[in-house]
Amino acid sequence: MFENAWNNIIDWFRDRSERAKLVRSFNESAKNSFISGIAPTLLKASISKGESSYKHQFSNWLNSGYRIQAFTGRVLTKNELIYIGKVILADSVLVRKLIVLGFDTLEIHGDAGTYGCRWQLKDYIPLPKFDENE
Amino acid sequence: MNDTLIQDSIKIASKAISKISESDESTNLWMWIALAELGIIVYLVFKEKFKSKVSSKQQFKSESLNQEIDFNNIINSSFNSEKLYDELKVKCHPDRFPMDNEKNLIAENIFQQITKNKTNIKRLLELKDEAIQKLNINF
Repeated sequence: MFENAWNNIIDWFRDRSERAKLVRSFNESAKNSFISGIAPTLLKASISKGESSYKHQFSNWLNSGYRIQAFTGRVLTKNELIYIGKVILADSVLVRKLIVLGFDTLEIHGDAGTYGCRWQLKDYIPLPKFDENE
Repeated sequence: MNDTLIQDSIKIASKAISKISESDESTNLWMWIALAELGIIVYLVFKEKFKSKVSSKQQFKSESLNQEIDFNNIINSSFNSEKLYDELKVKCHPDRFPMDNEKNLIAENIFQQITKNKTNIKRLLELKDEAIQKLNINF
C-alpha cells in the first residue's frame, strides 16, 4: 500500500514534467518555424482549464486542456485554425501522448479574445477499456 | 524402600515431562518458521497479482510516452501541407494515365498514400519525389 502511494507520487511528478516538456517542445519548434519563415504566425502552446464534459479515464482533475494560440504575426482565419487542429489530431502519436498525460481537450485560439475551436481528444483515438478495480 | 521407589518414579516422570516440553518448543519453532514462510509466499503472490493488474494501464501509458513527436513537421504541415496536397492530388491522379497500365497502377498507389497523409508534409514531400521518379511528372 505504501509502495503504491509512493509510486503514485513519483508518477504525478513525472507526468507534470512530461506535460511541461510537451508544451516547451511545441513552443521551441513554433519559434524556430516562425523565425525561419516556415510559419507565418507564431504559435504558442499552453495548458488551459479544458472542458469538463470531455473527461476520460486518464483526464486530470484540473487543467486538462492543451491550448494553442496564435501569438503574433498574421491573424489566422477560422479555416486555418480548424486546419491546425486537423493536423494535430491526425498525428495519432501526439494525440495518444496528450491523452495519457491527462489532457482531454484540444483548443486552437486566435490572438484576439476567446475566438477559437476545441476538440474532444478521446474521439480521435481508440482507448482500451481498463478495469476500474485495477 | 517405598520412599526410594517413589523418588525414582518422580525423577523418571520429571525427566519424561522435560523431554516432552523440549520437543514442544522445537515443534513451536518449526511452526513459526512455516508460518513465516507462508506469509512471505502469500505476500509475493499478492504483490505479483497486484503488479499484473496495474501494468495494463501503466504499460499503455509508458508505451505512449516513449514515442517521439516531430513538432517541426506538425507546425510546417499546419501551414504548408494543404497547398502541396492540392497540387499533388491533381498531378498524381490515376486518370491522367489512362493508356499506360503500369503507370496507372503506380499513380493509384501514390494517390492513395497522398490522401492518407494529406496533413503530413514530410510524407507528402517523399511522395512528390516518388512521383517525379516513377511517373516522370514535372512540378
